[in-house]
Amino acid sequence: MEDIDAMFSDLLGEMDLLTQSLGEEIPPPAPLPNTKKEVSFTMDFANFNESLHELEDTDLDALMADLVADLSATEEKLTAEIQGLKAPSPPLPNLPPPPRDLSFPPAPYDSSSSSSSSSCRDSSSSLVSTSATSPLPPPQAGKPSKEDIEAQMKADKIKLALEKLKEAKVKKLVVKVLMNDGSSKTLMVDERQTVREVLDNLFEKTHCDANVDWSLCETNYELQLERTFEDHENMVEPLLAWTRDSENKVLFQERRDKFEVFKNPQNFYLWKKDKKTLKDMKDKDKELLIKENFCGPSIIVPDLEGVLYLKEDGKKSWKQRLFQLRASGIYYVPKGKTKSSRDLVCFVQFDNVNVYFGKDVKNRYKAPTDFCFVLKHPQIQKESQYIKYLCCDDDWTMRLWMTGIRIAKYGALLHGNYKAAEKKSVVSSAWTNRSTPSSSNQSTPSPTIRAKASSQSNGHASKPQPGSDHQDFGNLPPPPPPLNEILPPPSPDPVLPPPPPSLASKPSGPHRKQPSGFPPPPLGIDNNLPPPPLPPPIDEAPPDFLPPPPPNTGIGSFPPPPPNTGFGSLPPPPPPPPPPVSSLPPPPASFGGIKKSLHPPPQDPQFLPPPPPDPVFTSAGAPPPPPPPPPAFAATPRANARPAGSVKKMPPAPPKRTTPVAGGGGGGGDLMSELMLAMKKRSDH
Amino acid sequence: MAAWDLSVTVEDLGPDAPPVTISVASDLHVGGVIVKLVEKTQIKRDWSDHALWWDQKKMWLLRTAWTLEKYGIHADARLIFMPQHRPLKLDLPNGKTVRLRACFSDPVFQTVMGICRQLNIRHPEELSLLRPVEEKKKKKDKDLTEEIYDLTEVPLSSVSRPCLYNGMPAHFAESEKMEAVYKMLSITQTPPAPEVITKQYRPASVVDKAHINGRWLDSSRCLMQQNIQENDRLWLRFKYYTFYELDPKYDVVRLTQLYEQARWAILLEDIDCTEEEMMLFGALQYHISKVSQSEPQALSTNTAMDDLESALLSLEVKMEGESSSATELLETMTAPELNDYLKIFRPKRLTLKGYKQYWFKFQDTSIAYFKSKEESIGEPIQQINLKGCEVAPDVNVAAQKFLIRLLIPAPEGMNEVFLRCENERQYAQWMAGCRLASKGKSLADSSFQSEIQSIRSFLAMQRNNSGSSSNAASSDESINTHSLVSPRYHKKYKTKQLTPRILDAYQNVAQLSLSDALMRFLQIWQALPDFGLSYVVVRFKGSRKDEVLGIAPNRLIRIDLGVGDVVKTWRYNNMKQWNVNWDIRQVAIEFEGNVNIAFSCVTADCRIVHEFIGGYIFMSTRSREKSDVLNQELFHKLTGGHEAL
Repeated sequence: MEDIDAMFSDLLGEMDLLTQSLGEEIPPPAPLPNTKKEVSFTMDFANFNESLHELEDTDLDALMADLVADLSATEEKLTAEIQGLKAPSPPLPNLPPPPRDLSFPPAPYDSSSSSSSSSCRDSSSSLVSTSATSPLPPPQAGKPSKEDIEAQMKADKIKLALEKLKEAKVKKLVVKVLMNDGSSKTLMVDERQTVREVLDNLFEKTHCDANVDWSLCETNYELQLERTFEDHENMVEPLLAWTRDSENKVLFQERRDKFEVFKNPQNFYLWKKDKKTLKDMKDKDKELLIKENFCGPSIIVPDLEGVLYLKEDGKKSWKQRLFQLRASGIYYVPKGKTKSSRDLVCFVQFDNVNVYFGKDVKNRYKAPTDFCFVLKHPQIQKESQYIKYLCCDDDWTMRLWMTGIRIAKYGALLHGNYKAAEKKSVVSSAWTNRSTPSSSNQSTPSPTIRAKASSQSNGHASKPQPGSDHQDFGNLPPPPPPLNEILPPPSPDPVLPPPPPSLASKPSGPHRKQPSGFPPPPLGIDNNLPPPPLPPPIDEAPPDFLPPPPPNTGIGSFPPPPPNTGFGSLPPPPPPPPPPVSSLPPPPASFGGIKKSLHPPPQDPQFLPPPPPDPVFTSAGAPPPPPPPPPAFAATPRANARPAGSVKKMPPAPPKRTTPVAGGGGGGGDLMSELMLAMKKRSDH
Repeated sequence: MAAWDLSVTVEDLGPDAPPVTISVASDLHVGGVIVKLVEKTQIKRDWSDHALWWDQKKMWLLRTAWTLEKYGIHADARLIFMPQHRPLKLDLPNGKTVRLRACFSDPVFQTVMGICRQLNIRHPEELSLLRPVEEKKKKKDKDLTEEIYDLTEVPLSSVSRPCLYNGMPAHFAESEKMEAVYKMLSITQTPPAPEVITKQYRPASVVDKAHINGRWLDSSRCLMQQNIQENDRLWLRFKYYTFYELDPKYDVVRLTQLYEQARWAILLEDIDCTEEEMMLFGALQYHISKVSQSEPQALSTNTAMDDLESALLSLEVKMEGESSSATELLETMTAPELNDYLKIFRPKRLTLKGYKQYWFKFQDTSIAYFKSKEESIGEPIQQINLKGCEVAPDVNVAAQKFLIRLLIPAPEGMNEVFLRCENERQYAQWMAGCRLASKGKSLADSSFQSEIQSIRSFLAMQRNNSGSSSNAASSDESINTHSLVSPRYHKKYKTKQLTPRILDAYQNVAQLSLSDALMRFLQIWQALPDFGLSYVVVRFKGSRKDEVLGIAPNRLIRIDLGVGDVVKTWRYNNMKQWNVNWDIRQVAIEFEGNVNIAFSCVTADCRIVHEFIGGYIFMSTRSREKSDVLNQELFHKLTGGHEAL
């Protein structure tokens, strides 16, 4: 056991070093990130080891699984990308297959970069001939001039640099989530992950039924507030607002209120009608209500108006006011005025506030009732005059208002969340049935992968009116289009004869795809059977591929990308086939050859940025004799590589790989194998 | 069969020409009459658009195969032979007037379809014609100056299939004059002068708002039957507030006109909104007018292509600017900074201290300050992250006061901080930075420069306004902010008070493209609680007082005039049937659950109410599969009165 702990902390340490991005690794027991990241880093890290010892077995397993999944996912993503690109051969050190060589970009040839070794040149020169003969005519017949190509190279580099910058800043949090039964689960959350993705992750770990009510909530201990996160929200952001010493918590619970408005819209939109009518509402009328209010050109908020008690600033006295909810905010009717719109006074607008449920307000603030909702800026964590408390006469009124405010604030996003959650629950129940008999091995890699898939759908959903077909694929197991892209990676995977035996043998055709990017395995079995699931991924992850976390840190002044943007696809933690990438490369098969030839060798293997699309187009015209990547090229990777410098092991490495990549990879390799050993040992016992 | 003489007035012979008399038999069909008539006049021309109008019966004799007997025409019938398409002056939602040839013989529903085809407006079923509010005839001079855009030259046949040429229908490409008409249709008007708004009629109550709805023409009868004469003036307006599939790509004119109608509804308080909403509407109007002036044709080209092109362009520019060394490349990738001496004031710490000067550095999304420039390498005195903060201007150009008020969230609450800038230039930069940072964007964001620009142009407006009123002859750069809000706010705020408030709202919309801004305007309009309500004063069966019926796209509401409140709502999807008793002019509606209501209409004919309800039900039957064919029959079935059947 201690072995494992040690290993584990080593692993984490290693990763941290690699990324150096970890503003925020926080000890699980007190998963509260602190506001001052930079400063606290060292301390946290120190605590980390200790805290690891406190972790229970299950926690550890779970975390391990996460980590490993992350790694293998990254690796898969890498191979996928490589496949897609065919350009960046360098990353594949162990690569014997001749076809691979083909993919060597001739670029280094001309590149004046000092780093490119002679051997590299050789290979590239041979390459040149192949690519020259490549039968595929460039899709775009334009004749790119040298300048064009150079320009495109520059564009490549720009993209690369940008991606690295972003990558460098990705943070991860270790979050402890409290379950209903009082137990807790510890997970690693990438700062780009949405609540939806984290929920999906939890579904795997908990065997819960994945129904739409499952939610993550935050509680604020000091203020006695509670809020259900919306599925589209970024998970890490609100946690970062917590103060260092706070006793806030994250709960994993079923919350009916989260999507009640989509299940019984009449209770919100027709609340004035009598109870019986509401209860007998026909499904088709409910659908109509949803369509009218959420699917039209603009979102209609429920027509709410009523007397609420408002806590006066800084005092414990409450006064009654007639409030009205509008799409643009909450208003009240000033004394002696009419209710006409023009006389309304704006009480609050929703851009900068969230709505919370206030607990125990009767005692704490002498509130007239305990049905209190609270509006405050998410950053505010302590008593302040800027927190607004509103009390309702009864529970239902309070829920009406809180839901109404959420509708006004998030609009169509809520509806998208609901649809995504609904699909998820359907799919996962289907999968539970289907896959129960199948072996456990899929579980490990899947969590992340699955998260990815759903993130895709989520992304679509969040748009006001997503094409329904897109969404479909988000959660359906065998979405055809991605398949193509995703499939290839495993097979060509140079390092390892593709799928580890366990994976490959058991599942039949379709199953094989799973590891590469499919949502499927509904229930994570990892908790029960930690050992078996783990090995495969480990096997799969060859040393060189370890490098998920980007090496370079210092440079990034760029804010980390939002979860769903195109960039999300690059970084390591999230699962392999990034949607944007996958959509681009499809043609690779046909015109990969060309791309290859053009593509600058530079990418460090660690994460190949997807080939920037534009360059591809432009470049397509000029197949074989691609002009040399400008000297700059070599320099870039180096600059980036600096942090990763600790080159531990270099596999047979083709000439091209320079320091950067190898460093990360080597270290990882060690670790992984050791880890594997450790795990095996353990499972043997 | 015996022949008898039928005299027909042929309009083309002139008003004073005597009727043409032809000899006919009762079994002669109308087509034969026309042939005889044309022969007799001996005029050679295209008579295909002509038809016979029976004046006493107020009907067109359009079935040429029917005999005179079948029509019941005798020698005493007053028949007029004239073109069915006749010029009409149409007042558009944007306040401009076009003169075009409309069909006087089809039901108004089809006439509107024809008009919309000429104007290139999709989904004509949402629009209709109404009789104008009589203007007081005082300002004769104004009538003279009014510009009329003439479309009467457009050959009717060419309109039938509007092929797109350059993003506009072919018939608009024929001459410069025609292009000017299209411009008027497709480009938003500049904000009206405040006086223009003030002079217009504004409804003061729900009852006032109800009166306009008495003016809608009957969709199932033709213009002639409704006593509309050639060259009369009618209003063309969106009548049904369900706008099917608005798409900026295909709906240039429709979107523009809809925006104009919405804008006027807001300026004239035809629909109520709060002050905050009014400011946002104002900001959007400002933005729209600015953008449409700078890129007048943006809407007509394919916006997606534009985006792509501009993206490529900027990429090119970027790459040009990039040096080839990677390190430099990275440097230029890093975010730009602002560095300057500013004064800071934090009201929380004891106030007496006032403003103190420090060296400020704005990087990424935070501000840091140092004692002096020289010490800026070390630890800052304080660093403030502006993400999620509130930014408000406190500016008085005349007094050279340029304050940025920041409300910065912290665990303990919000901290108030004032930054004082020395001059406009500095203020615009720092303000733009703060605005972006509050939304989590860094200075590297592409919108930084345009944000600076918009702040400066607003400052310019303030300078002009606060200067003497003499430089009212301002360039179009500066818009009088009173033009953007309803007259109520003219009284409440001076322009220099109003400008910063609109600027405040403007920051949220400044980055929108023209079509996005138009769509946003419409969205906010559609999200107003009273949106889509057409009022009619009615008297419910068994009630003794007038009440107001509000007709919305999905429901009917009953408003008690005494309280001014909605007392009852009925949704169409619960409706089982509705009937009109044409004899006692009463509308009766039955809803599920044995709910029956009946009312007579006071400010509008019950036919209009009937048509509204049927029209909305018709609108809800539209679906994508059959969107290209309008089911006119169904429309008439749902909206027509007993005469139509």
